[in-house]
Amino acid sequence: MKCEWVLENITLHVYGELADDARHELEQHVARCADCAAELKAAQEFHDLLSEERAAEPTPNLVAAARMKLQEALETAEQGGFWRRLAFDPANWLRQVSFSPALASAILILGFAGGVGTSYRVFVHQPPISATGAPPAPAPVEASITGIQSITQQPGTNQIDIKYNTLSTLETQGSLNDQRIQQLLLFAARNNYNSGVRMDSVDLLTQKPNVSQVRDALIYALRYDTNPGVRLKALDGLGGFVKDDVRVRDVVLEALVNDANPGVRTEALRLIEPAKADGSVRGVLMTLAAKDQSQYIKSQARTMLAQLPEID
Amino acid sequence: MAGQERRIDDTILIREAQHGNRGAFEELVRHYDQAVLRLALHLTGTEQDAQDVYQDAFLKAYKNIGSFRFECSFYTWIYRIVTNLCLDHLRKKTVRKEDAPVVKDGNGGEYDLLDQVPDGRAGANPERDLMRRQLGARISGALEKLTPRERMVFELKHYHGMKLRTVGEILHTTEETAKNTLFRATQKLRGALADMR
Repeated sequence: MKCEWVLENITLHVYGELADDARHELEQHVARCADCAAELKAAQEFHDLLSEERAAEPTPNLVAAARMKLQEALETAEQGGFWRRLAFDPANWLRQVSFSPALASAILILGFAGGVGTSYRVFVHQPPISATGAPPAPAPVEASITGIQSITQQPGTNQIDIKYNTLSTLETQGSLNDQRIQQLLLFAARNNYNSGVRMDSVDLLTQKPNVSQVRDALIYALRYDTNPGVRLKALDGLGGFVKDDVRVRDVVLEALVNDANPGVRTEALRLIEPAKADGSVRGVLMTLAAKDQSQYIKSQARTMLAQLPEID
Repeated sequence: MAGQERRIDDTILIREAQHGNRGAFEELVRHYDQAVLRLALHLTGTEQDAQDVYQDAFLKAYKNIGSFRFECSFYTWIYRIVTNLCLDHLRKKTVRKEDAPVVKDGNGGEYDLLDQVPDGRAGANPERDLMRRQLGARISGALEKLTPRERMVFELKHYHGMKLRTVGEILHTTEETAKNTLFRATQKLRGALADMR
């Protein structure tokens, strides 16, 4: 080996960047070459000298200030996100209406026509009126809904009664295929303070997981609902899509790793089984098998991993 | 295993952020922002500039997260953004030297204002402190003489302990080029600081 090669590679050696064989050769050479040994010593000393002056760590105040400033900037930053497109902004809607008299009139006329054509029964603090004599029900407008009181499915039929509050309490009927009923169920799943109502709505929505908005609502419920029963229902509704829908797989993995409820985690582990060969699932299973606090989850994860073919 | 866990965590957060979840993005920021701020602080030399780089980098990441395709790790991606911003800053700084906090004393000699800031740490030894500060000033001066790219490679390797392969990925170059750049940077620094050894 030539001294020239050694001199070119001493820096890499000092920084631990030489391959094992090259490092071995370099060390062998400096053991018998005084000039190269002196150069290596000088390079090492210089490295140590530079290391005396370390890069300053940002102070906690600087980190906090930078984070705060960034948060403010993110408030106004544009990002064409999914939820942003779906989000209902009543203030913006009203602003648009107030500046568009023609649009406001069109909405009024359409709303009236829609109300005449509908078969819903609507009650304003009144007992139910039979379908034949029912006054036309206005379409449920999300902005005017303040909460969902109850959801009941009539036994043996596909009719669902939903009692909801606007400025006053209204009631409407329709089948699960009806988009307006679906809208109310979606609203209930995301917004209701009563977990029983959320449970009923999510339970019904699980019958329509192919509808994109329904699947989004189930994902939302699994991720954010505070009630484990609701999360379990949502999980069951999503189970069939773990293999084909990456978003569903991610949220089920998230529940498997992070959910506070052992029942939800166990169910998530069962549902993820068909997708266990996927890289992200395998990674999670390896983590769980190594150090999950639950012995059951740990052993199940190990069993699932053992059934997988080895990857180099 | 911790790295793998972090990657899973990041993947979930990135997908969430791609669907417009700002909270998820902010969580992602917290995974990397101290390292980003440290790099920016050391390269720009002032807290104000470091904050500007930090903010520009994460805003850019937020606006472009939708186009992140998991072809590299988020770590590499965010460092690419930050190093590009820092390189721009270093290039501008090379042209515009008036920002340097250097003033002239009564005899016309120049001194660095930062050298005059007292070290308030308890128990600091004034003599040792002076030597440390002199060493720091000399190293800073020598680092400033490097080209922006040499400076960046040296910074990422020496102060951030990154593998040269990663440095190459971040700077869109090969590991071999990163090795050559590190060699050049170290030779220049040794030349500039020869009298200190």
